[in-house]
Amino acid sequence: MKIIGALIFIMMTTWIGYDWSLQLQKRTKQLRSLIYSLQLMEAEMGYTYAPLQKVFSSVHEKTTEPVSYFYKYLQQALTESVSDFSEVWEHALEKLLKQSALKQEEAAILSQFGKNLGNHTFLQQEKHIHLTMHHLKEILNNATDEQHKYERMAKSLGVLAGIFIVLLLY
Amino acid sequence: MDIVQIILIGIVATLLYIILKDIEPAFAYLLLLITSIFILVVVIQQIHIIIQMIQSLGNKAQINSVFIETILKIIGIAYITELGSNVMKDANLTSIAAKVELAGKIFILLLAVPIITTVVETIIQFIPTSSWQMP
Amino acid sequence: MMMDATILFQIAGIGIITALIHTVLKQVGKEDIAQFVSLVGFIIVLVIVIHHLNDLFQQIKSIFLLQGM
Repeated sequence: MKIIGALIFIMMTTWIGYDWSLQLQKRTKQLRSLIYSLQLMEAEMGYTYAPLQKVFSSVHEKTTEPVSYFYKYLQQALTESVSDFSEVWEHALEKLLKQSALKQEEAAILSQFGKNLGNHTFLQQEKHIHLTMHHLKEILNNATDEQHKYERMAKSLGVLAGIFIVLLLY
Repeated sequence: MDIVQIILIGIVATLLYIILKDIEPAFAYLLLLITSIFILVVVIQQIHIIIQMIQSLGNKAQINSVFIETILKIIGIAYITELGSNVMKDANLTSIAAKVELAGKIFILLLAVPIITTVVETIIQFIPTSSWQMP
Repeated sequence: MMMDATILFQIAGIGIITALIHTVLKQVGKEDIAQFVSLVGFIIVLVIVIHHLNDLFQQIKSIFLLQGM
């Protein structure tokens, strides 16, 4: 009986460790998809000069999950007339932050970007997009470094902590 | 508790010590300590029986109970001192171990003082000359 | 007082696991946390050992009539 409980406990902590390492993996993946979505947005704006709502809907179709939800939400919010776009953007960011493994760091950059979106000519807009992408790439580099560093640690630490606590309580 | 069991525990402790010595010396030392404590606890429970036998024999022979108590105390001090000094020797603290042993010897001597005085008094009573009388 | 060989394995196990956690954390570069983990493991084992040492000394005291010393 005791052994079964111990095994269940060790499995649980192992799972927590795996989840932690998975979280690290997800973050880099989502950052990549975010950068890709910005590139898409730039291309869309440059070639079609479409309104933001259309840009968002086409970006939503081409990106993967947590990031695509963000654009979907924005697109839906813009179907009604909006007085303050940056407020909508902030709201969408909050939702994205909850759904994804992204952190406050990149949210701050995106919110800066949202304040300038739609207020400028295309050339200035392009500069803003490039700046944001540059920042995000830097964060992505850091995140991949962190991922390589902590991924294995998180896994082994989960198992080891489980065995440790079981030994203590035995 | 069996002697076989104690020996097996000793062997197991030795193997674990060999594994642990290289990676965590402090833990290896604590393992040594707990092994010696373990074996002594087992032994103490057996000693209890022997001591009860000695006490009942002494009662039958009507020996003054102070003597037996003193002897028991001396044996106890010897045991504790041995344990402590061995623990210190294991940690390569030979000088402190020597001091602990010295303290043990002195306390044993201190306990033996009443017995020694009794022995001396008895011997003096055997001496017949009246000019040698004790005050 | 019940004691058996599990305590030996427990202490050896805690020692080995602490050493492993120490090396894992050290590889990542969190040396301060690694040091802290080692210290905590050592203190836990020390508490166990001291507990048993106290038991042993109480027994010796009661059996060898050393109560007053």
